[in-house]
Amino acid sequence: MSPEAIPPAGRIARSGGWFTIAFMAPFLLYVTAFLILPTLMLLATAFLGKHGLTLHYVRSLGEGQTVVAFRNSIELSAMAAFVGIVVGGLTAYFVLLPGMPRGLRSLVTTFGAVAANFAGVPLAFAFIATLGSLGIITVWLKLIGINLYGSGFTLYSLPGLVLVYAYFQIPLMVIVITPALEALRREWREAAENLGASAWDYWRHVGLPILLPSLLSAYILLFGNAFSAYATPYALTSGIVALVPVAISNVLSGNVMVSQQTGAALALGMIGVMVVVMGIYALIARRVGRWVKR
Amino acid sequence: MNRRTPRLIPGLGLGIVGIYFITPLLATGVFSLWEGGDRYGLSAYAALIHQPKLWQSLGLSIRLAIETILVGLVVLVPAVFWLNLRVQRLRPLFDFLSVLPFVVPPIALVAGMTTLYTGPDWFVGTANYLVVPYVILALPYTYRALDVGMRALDLKTLTEASQSLGAGWFTLIFRVVVPNLTTALIGAALLTIAIVMGEFTFANILLFNTFAVYIDYIGQTSATEASALTLLSFLITWLAMLGVLVTGRSGRGQVQIGGAR
Amino acid sequence: MMAGDFTPDRRTVLKLAAAGSTAALLPAIGHAAGISSALIKAAKHEGGLNTIALPPDWANYGEIISTFEKKYGIPIKNAAPDDTSAEELQSIRSMRGQSRGPDVVDVGLSFALVGARQGLFKPYKVSTWSTIPASMKDPAGLWYGDYFGLISFGVNMSVAKTAPQSWADLKKPAYKGMVALNGSPLGAGAAFAGVFAAALANGGSLDNIMPGIEFFADLAKRGNFDPSAATSASLVSGQTPVVINWDYLNLAQAKKSKAMTKIDTIISADAKPYGAFYCQAISKFAPHPKAAELWQEFIYSDEGQLLYLKGFAHPARFSAMAKAGAIPASLMAELPPAKPYGEALFATIEQTKKAQAALTENWSKMVKA
Repeated sequence: MSPEAIPPAGRIARSGGWFTIAFMAPFLLYVTAFLILPTLMLLATAFLGKHGLTLHYVRSLGEGQTVVAFRNSIELSAMAAFVGIVVGGLTAYFVLLPGMPRGLRSLVTTFGAVAANFAGVPLAFAFIATLGSLGIITVWLKLIGINLYGSGFTLYSLPGLVLVYAYFQIPLMVIVITPALEALRREWREAAENLGASAWDYWRHVGLPILLPSLLSAYILLFGNAFSAYATPYALTSGIVALVPVAISNVLSGNVMVSQQTGAALALGMIGVMVVVMGIYALIARRVGRWVKR
Repeated sequence: MNRRTPRLIPGLGLGIVGIYFITPLLATGVFSLWEGGDRYGLSAYAALIHQPKLWQSLGLSIRLAIETILVGLVVLVPAVFWLNLRVQRLRPLFDFLSVLPFVVPPIALVAGMTTLYTGPDWFVGTANYLVVPYVILALPYTYRALDVGMRALDLKTLTEASQSLGAGWFTLIFRVVVPNLTTALIGAALLTIAIVMGEFTFANILLFNTFAVYIDYIGQTSATEASALTLLSFLITWLAMLGVLVTGRSGRGQVQIGGAR
Repeated sequence: MMAGDFTPDRRTVLKLAAAGSTAALLPAIGHAAGISSALIKAAKHEGGLNTIALPPDWANYGEIISTFEKKYGIPIKNAAPDDTSAEELQSIRSMRGQSRGPDVVDVGLSFALVGARQGLFKPYKVSTWSTIPASMKDPAGLWYGDYFGLISFGVNMSVAKTAPQSWADLKKPAYKGMVALNGSPLGAGAAFAGVFAAALANGGSLDNIMPGIEFFADLAKRGNFDPSAATSASLVSGQTPVVINWDYLNLAQAKKSKAMTKIDTIISADAKPYGAFYCQAISKFAPHPKAAELWQEFIYSDEGQLLYLKGFAHPARFSAMAKAGAIPASLMAELPPAKPYGEALFATIEQTKKAQAALTENWSKMVKA
């Protein structure tokens, strides 16, 4: 059989090894060279003591404030990711509704992209100027009789941080989930309604299950994004809320003391947390993927 | 569509979200107009606009952002395409790689990179060198954006259909898949711009004067100008992105296989 | 290096100034003794100098840089003004072999020691070496202190109305939500020093920083402590009206913002003040080694040291220069009162490590907003 006579389907069937290399190689090489190797170099120092290999620094991950820092970081990231998913998801959905004004989508998408990276000192300053103890809203509320700080609210706490983190979590969600929302075909909604389903039924049995893989994927991104943030919490609370990235930055790129090994051990811990989070995600994704044909 | 879409809840919801996002910007704006005591005016903005360093660093950052987008997409699109089409079992690897940039401290990444790769001089000494780590830093976001986008397509059907019509890989990718990925591609591009414009550590240690370095410098030296610059940079980045969005949307053909838009 | 053997003896200076000694005028004409014309020629030949981490408002570095450029005709490229000391060391490592790399660095003491240990510095003893106090220099000439400051309160008078005069004053209800550090005591030098200073004022010592942590815990409980990282913007805007920071930074900010708002700088009266010095070093891989040496000579000449003083930072050779009558009375008049500077306490590296461990263990545990 001459090559021209082989049907096109045969071409697909025989693609394999070489094609995989061609498509994947640039990415894998790039990542190995510029991410994996430097990471390995960093992690190696976590085990280097004054006299050779040691577990001292890794063991110190289980001590006192380090444990508190990990707990705070995980809680904060989980909550901030959840807020981002819910509010961001709803925002993206509302913006995509057929009745909405035309320019709104472009406006929201671009504003969202800027806000998604509006973090660090400017964000902290903006929020302190708004809701700090001398902030505009705080003062205004006091004028109408509501003492915000008197009733226990404070911007400089975990809930306060969640409020501030939402500023870059929500837009990130909007940008990432929009393609998935767009793929929910109108016909499916109409078909469901023709069969007598209410809006709730549609979402429960059709919409959300189809969206679930993308929602989980977005959750990982939002969690990681919040988990790694250090400029914002540092500017806002400068260390009274123990957080892992702030601890790493203090000890690797600060102005008081420098300790490569402690920083490396903390980074190792962060990797461990992300691996666990992704393991949970993989488990959920597999159960969901079972009945959505993909 | 015969159903009347109730406008109240979405409108209200978006309104509340809008207020949440605008208020801190307003507070920053009010402070940027302050000139001491009871006086308000635009002197902070005037002082800023006349500094050549502002425009130089801005130009540099925008250029780096565009280069990062190009390199990033060239490296990622084929890989994510193949991942979703053929080798889904590699997904855990990709997921892990894509979150690694979140957990490696930037200063450690700089240290590692500069120890391992010291040349060639004509590249490492120029600001373009920053594109190399920036693609890595943008990886979590660009990967997710592209992945979500590709998952929403029925890649298998698309591929089989086009190949049974005689299309080669090139046609398949550039004339079938990519046009259907517009939203995801634009999202990836916008996120990359935001990250590059905001990246500080690499530029600072390697002594390049990017926009983020400049913003930080102003923040250390002058009170009201820092706030003015915050708003200015917000505005400039926003306009840049609108530009990307408009060119992205207008250039796309109307290939609509299977997706409702 | 030990603290305490540092006695500026201001009274002697004032006596000399009162006697109208014209010898106290700036030796501005010609080169200071010790800067050879051979060095100047070699430096000029190199064509430039790369400095990093020198913000213009920090200890008057803006004027120091421009004076150097004008005097020797050597252009200075000053990059990364906001580098932390750790980032400066990383810059030396990362930019090794490149012509854009830093020539000189200005880092905190613990980083100077790390840099020396890791072989990042080139030894050089300036011509005025002997007049730098022994406690502020490395015997081999790898690094030497350039200036020091004391912890002070920077107070935005339009918001705070009355300035606190002591650490005890900070606890008054009048300062509710007002008192801030410039960052975390585990990451920011002035914040670390601030906690140490509070410790000295509350029964602690250079070996015991716990009373300082307890002080801030109490301050936070009373609602007086603002945990956000104060910047010049937040001081001037009134968001953080009382900022605990280096005296030279508060004083420089006050001078700069005079038109916008009144800022007072107070060195607390109720305790021996805590101080710290920064260190100059030449990078081992400096692309312009001769220019770097000339820079050091300039900084440690009377002219350079007086420029630091003009930026409200006390130069390393302060006591030697005061004894020699090299400090003009007009400059002295602009500075805060002399007594605290004679009594300043500096922590050794072992004391710093101990304090840092105590902070890691206790700071976020005890200080709650």
